Amino acid sequence: MLTFALRLIATLLHAALVFALAPLLMGAVNKFRAWALGRRGPPFLQPYFNLYKHLRKTTLVPETATELFALWPVTAFLATATAALLVPSFCTGLLTAPASDFITLIGLFALARAAAMLGGLETGFGFGGAAAGREALFSVFAEAALLVVILGFALLAHSITINGIAVAFAAGHIGISVSLGFALAALLAVALTETGRIPTDNPAGHLELAMVHEALSLEYSGRFLLLLEYAGMLRLLLWMNLIGTIFLPFGMARADDILSWPLGLILWPLKLGVMAALLALFEISTAKMRVFRVPEFLGAAMLLGILAGIFLFVASRIGT
Amino acid sequence: MRRWLPDDSGPGCYPYPVTNDLALMVGLPGQGVHLHLDALSLLFLCILAPQILASAVAGMRASVTFWVFCAGMVLALAAGDAFTLIFGFELMSAASWLLVLRGDQKPATFYIAIAIFSAACLIPAVFLPASSPVSCSIAFILIALGTGAKAGLAPLHSWLPKAHPAPPAGVSAIMSGGMVKIALYVLIRYSFIILTGAAQPWWGVVLIIAGVASVVIGALRAVLETEMKTMLACSTIEHVGLITVGLGIALRAKAMGDPALTAVALQAALLCAVAHGLFKPLLFLGAGEVKHSTGTTSLNWLGGLMRGQPRLGGLMLLGAAGMAAIPFGPGFAPEFLLLHAVIGAAATGGILARIGFTFVLAALGLGAALALGAAVRLIGIGFLGRPRSLHAASAEDARPGPLFGMGLLAVLMLPVALLPGQVLAALVPVVSQLAPQADMHPLAYTPLPLLLLAFLIATATGFVLHRFGVRGTREVAPWNGGFGRAPAWLPFGDPTTQPSATGFAQPISRAIAKAVLGKNGTDPADAWLIAPIQRLHLRGVRLAERIRRATIRQRLGVVFAALVLFLAALGLAEGG
Repeated sequence: MLTFALRLIATLLHAALVFALAPLLMGAVNKFRAWALGRRGPPFLQPYFNLYKHLRKTTLVPETATELFALWPVTAFLATATAALLVPSFCTGLLTAPASDFITLIGLFALARAAAMLGGLETGFGFGGAAAGREALFSVFAEAALLVVILGFALLAHSITINGIAVAFAAGHIGISVSLGFALAALLAVALTETGRIPTDNPAGHLELAMVHEALSLEYSGRFLLLLEYAGMLRLLLWMNLIGTIFLPFGMARADDILSWPLGLILWPLKLGVMAALLALFEISTAKMRVFRVPEFLGAAMLLGILAGIFLFVASRIGT
Repeated sequence: MRRWLPDDSGPGCYPYPVTNDLALMVGLPGQGVHLHLDALSLLFLCILAPQILASAVAGMRASVTFWVFCAGMVLALAAGDAFTLIFGFELMSAASWLLVLRGDQKPATFYIAIAIFSAACLIPAVFLPASSPVSCSIAFILIALGTGAKAGLAPLHSWLPKAHPAPPAGVSAIMSGGMVKIALYVLIRYSFIILTGAAQPWWGVVLIIAGVASVVIGALRAVLETEMKTMLACSTIEHVGLITVGLGIALRAKAMGDPALTAVALQAALLCAVAHGLFKPLLFLGAGEVKHSTGTTSLNWLGGLMRGQPRLGGLMLLGAAGMAAIPFGPGFAPEFLLLHAVIGAAATGGILARIGFTFVLAALGLGAALALGAAVRLIGIGFLGRPRSLHAASAEDARPGPLFGMGLLAVLMLPVALLPGQVLAALVPVVSQLAPQADMHPLAYTPLPLLLLAFLIATATGFVLHRFGVRGTREVAPWNGGFGRAPAWLPFGDPTTQPSATGFAQPISRAIAKAVLGKNGTDPADAWLIAPIQRLHLRGVRLAERIRRATIRQRLGVVFAALVLFLAALGLAEGG
C-alpha cells in the first residue's frame, strides 16, 4: 500500500515536472544556442510568454477548413502528452510503467504525426501539403531505424518496456559496447528528425518552402497553435528523457524508495541541461540538409541500428 | 480421397470427432460432401459474416452471382474433406470472375488466368498422398503457390490492384476483406493442421520472405496510387503480407519448438485477419459511395468531401485509422503483436536467422510508416482540404444502405480496437487448435488505461484553456500560403494552389519508389515475372505461327529430316 502511494506520488510529480518544465527546456536550448553564436538571446522563460500570448489571442478558423479542424491539434497534443507520461524522467517504476512498451510509444508518435500531417492538409494550402509529404517520407526511415535500434535495447535488457530497459541499464551490468555506440548514433539521428531540429528541419526557419514541422501548423492560431507548440516542446523533453533514460541512467531514483528521490531530482535537470547544451552546440555547427539528403541520413541511421544488432548477435555467439 | 477424418491414415491427418461431421449425399459418387466446423473455420466464418451482411445491405443483395460467390466461400470454410474444399474454392473463384468481368473486361482475363494457376497448384496438392516428408514439402510448396496467388502474396500479387477495384464496391469489399482470407484459411488449414507432422522450419521462412516482400511493395504502391480503390487493394497486399509474416514466424517457431513465439505470432496473424476483415470492407464500401456521389474515385479530383459527406467521412476516418495501424485503432494490436514476434524471433536462434529478422523488423517499420502515409493521404487529400472539382464540391452524403453497412463494420471494430485482450481471449481455442503446445501470454498493449491517461490530460488542458484562454473562434479567409483570394468563378479557390495526391506522394516516389519499383512505378512482379511470361508467350505464338505458315516443302523437309535422324539413331544404337 505504501509502495503504491509512493509510486502514485512519483507519477504525479513526474507529470507535473514534465508538463511544467517542457517550455523551459525549449527556452534553455534557444538561450544556449544564442550564447554559442555570441548573441544575448531571448530569456529562458520566453516559451512561457509565447504560450501565454497564444492563450490570449482569438482562435481563427479558415473558411476552407472542415469540421475536424480542431481535432488534429488536440489529437497531436494528447498523443504526445500521453507518450510523455510513459517515459520515465527522474525515477523508474512509475504507475505508467506496465504500459510503457516501446512499440506503444512508437505508435503514439505515429498517431501524433498523422494528426499533425492531417492538420497540414486540412485547409488545402500548398505548404501544408508539401510538408506533409516530406514528413511522410522522413517517417518511413525514422520508424524503421527506431524499430531496429529498439531491437538492440530489447536484447540487452531482456525487456521491451522503457521502464524495463531503464531498470536494466541503471543496474549497470550492461557495460559499454560498440553496439550501444552505434545505437546511440542511430537514436540521435531519429530524435533530431522527430523533434524537427537541424539538420533535418530548422525550428527557427522563416522560409516556408524549407520547413516541415512548422509548415504543418501555419494555418493554426490561438489555442490550437498553443497546443501544437506545446506538443513540440513536450516532444523535445520526451526524447531527451528517452535518451537520458537509456544512455545516462546513473542516479535515477526508484519510485518505491523515497530516499533515492533527491539524487534523481537533482541529476535529472542536470542531464537535461547538458543535453540541451550539446543540442545547441550541434545545431550551430551543422547546416540544414536538403530534403532529399534526409533519407540518406536516416538510412545511415537504420544501417547503424542493424549493425548494432549484428554486433550484439556476434558478441552473444562469442560469449556463449 | 483424403478426408480430415480419423479413418484417414496419413501422417498429417487431424483427428476430428466424427459426431461433428455432417455428410450430405451429393457430390462425388460414394463420397458425398462432408461439412465440418471447428474453431478455425468458425473464426473465419465470423470474419466473413459481417462483411457479407454489410455488402448485402450496401446494395449487392439483388445479385445472384454475389450470393453464389458468398456460398462458395462459406462452403470452402465449412468443408470437411478436400473435394468439398476445392469445390467451394473454385466456385468462389468462378463467381468472382463473373463479377469482375461485369465491372471491367481487361483485368478479368488476367484474374481468371491467376485463378486457373491457383487451381492447378491446389488440386494436385490436396490430393497428394502425405506419406513422406518430401511429398509433404511438395504439397506445402504447391499450397503456398496456389493460395498465395489467390491471396495476392508477392510475387503473385500484381493482379490484385487491377482486379479488386473492377467490380462494384460491395464485391470489391468482400474480395479484399473475405476472399483473400479464404485463401489464407486454406494455407493455415494445410500448413498448421493437415501437414503439421511434416512441417519444416524452412516452410516458415518461405512465408516470411513472401510476406515481407508483400508488405513493402503493397504499402509503397498504396502511397503512390491515386485511384482510391486501387490504393485500397494495394493496402490489402500489405495486410496479407503482415498476416503471412505472422503465420511464417509461427510455422517456423512451431517446427523448432518455441511455444511462446508460436503463440504471439499466431495471435498477431489471426488478430490482423480479424481487424483487416472489418476495416477494409468498410473502406471499400466508402470508396463505392464516393464513386456514386462524385463519379470518380481519383484522389486528384476529390477533396473537401468531409464538408458535404460528414457521416461518410467520419466512417472513412475510422477505417483509415485501422489501415494506418495507429494506437486506439483496430490495426494497432496486431501490428504490436507482430513486431513483438519478430523481436522475439530475433532474440534466439542462429546468427543468420537473427540478422534476417533484424531486416524483417526494418522492413515492417518501413511498411508501417508507408501505410500511415497512405491512410493520411486518403483522408487528407480526399476528404479534407478544398474540392478539386465541381463534382466533389456538390457531393451529398452517402445513401443509407451503404452507411448502415459501414456503420455495422465500424461498431464491430470497436471491441477489436479498444479491447484487443478480450478478443485475443476469444481466439484462444483457434490458437490451441493450430498449435496445441502454444504458450499464450496476456497482451501488453492495453488501450483503455492509455485512453484514461489521455482523458485526464484532456480534462486538465481543457480546464486551463477554458479558464484562462480567450473563448470562441472566428472564421476568416485562409492565409493559403499568401495567395490572394481566388476570383469569383473559382468558388473553392484555385485548385492548382493545393497539393494533389500525386504531389503528396512525390517525395516518397522520388526517394524510395525508384529503388523498389520499376520505371514509371510499375510493379516489380510485372517487370520480373509477368513481362517475361508475356515475352515467352509471344515467342511461342510466333513459333506456332511460323509452323502453321510453313510451305509444303518445309514440312516435307522436316518430316524427311526427322526420319533420317531416327534411322541414324536406330542404326547407331544397333551398331553400338
